[in-house]
Amino acid sequence: MTPFASRISKQDAWVLPVSLMCLVLGFMCCMAWVTQTTRSTRMNYLPADQKIRVNEAGVDIEAFQQMTTEVKKLHQDNTRLEQALSGHTSETQALNESLQELKLFAGMTPVVGPGVVVTLRDSPKFSGSGLDPGGTQPDSIIHDVDALKVCNELIASGAEAIAVNNHRIAGNSSLRCVGTTILVNDVKIASPVIIQAIGDPKTMIGAMNMPGGVLAEIRQTDPRMVQIEAVSSQMLPEYVGKTTRNFAKLAKESK
Amino acid sequence: MILVPIIALIIGAAIALAVKLPPVPGVYGQYLAVACLAGFDTICGGVRAGLEDKFRAEVFITGFFSNVLIAFFLAWFGDQIYINLFLAVALVLGARIFTNLSLIRRYGLTKWQDARERKKLQAQAQTQPVASAQPEPNP
Repeated sequence: MTPFASRISKQDAWVLPVSLMCLVLGFMCCMAWVTQTTRSTRMNYLPADQKIRVNEAGVDIEAFQQMTTEVKKLHQDNTRLEQALSGHTSETQALNESLQELKLFAGMTPVVGPGVVVTLRDSPKFSGSGLDPGGTQPDSIIHDVDALKVCNELIASGAEAIAVNNHRIAGNSSLRCVGTTILVNDVKIASPVIIQAIGDPKTMIGAMNMPGGVLAEIRQTDPRMVQIEAVSSQMLPEYVGKTTRNFAKLAKESK
Repeated sequence: MILVPIIALIIGAAIALAVKLPPVPGVYGQYLAVACLAGFDTICGGVRAGLEDKFRAEVFITGFFSNVLIAFFLAWFGDQIYINLFLAVALVLGARIFTNLSLIRRYGLTKWQDARERKKLQAQAQTQPVASAQPEPNP
């Protein structure tokens, strides 16, 4: 016997078998661990309420906000550098002006202006069903399609910039529904959906209130679900979503 | 002494990471997770028995494997007959883990308090050799 083993008294006889089984358990836990590769297949076997919980726990809000601030700062730095570079001659200044104009159009800068705020919220009328809101009454909750239609109508009636819950709608934005939440630019938002638009308030309110228009159907369910107000000045944030391209290349003729 | 099983647990996980076996996907991952719970429960029971001086290695090792297999089987069986036995297994094992851990904590606490008391008495005996000359049962 080794000197170590001889020191194991009867009292500590449990340590070795327990450690051995701990080894096995550690191995098993590692095999059962939910990783990036197994997440999607494991998720299917969770009950709905737990799925929501796991999903929400998985979103690192702080990291997202940090990243958003970082992107905004980089955008600002970029603009400053462009301005500094263009300071010398009138040609470069002209180039820079057209560049800034394009960035404004693409939604890469914060914008200020008059417009409307459309608020869509789930109806309180049918909210008795607890965990499954609108499970019995699908019309009583705001869907991605509702927000999408409103955005579409706003653009058609002359909106120059739109933000949904402070997420700017730009060229490759998307509005999509996942489970019980809506994704804007792949970021989750919750009811109420607040759509801010910059443009002529009168035209846009007219378009919103059009008989048989996008909001008429929602109002039929519950008039409290929709709220529209004109604002004299509001600020919309810049687009901070994905800007990388994997497939699109500049066409040869336009070079 | 309690550190040795914890280190073994970490080594076990490290081995699994080192051999690069892919984690079990899908529903079998779920069954394995329940089995892990059973294994953890058995280990808590083993530690408790050890502290109570009632530990028997053969009972413990067979218990570990049978509990793991039973938990796995019950979870699988529940899915075959459309009953959520996951919940039953998790509930029972969770309750047992709680009981075992609270007992382990109590033993540890008593042991620590005893040791402190003994030290205090010894210190007293050293400072007052006259008083300890009288025969007194050692606690």
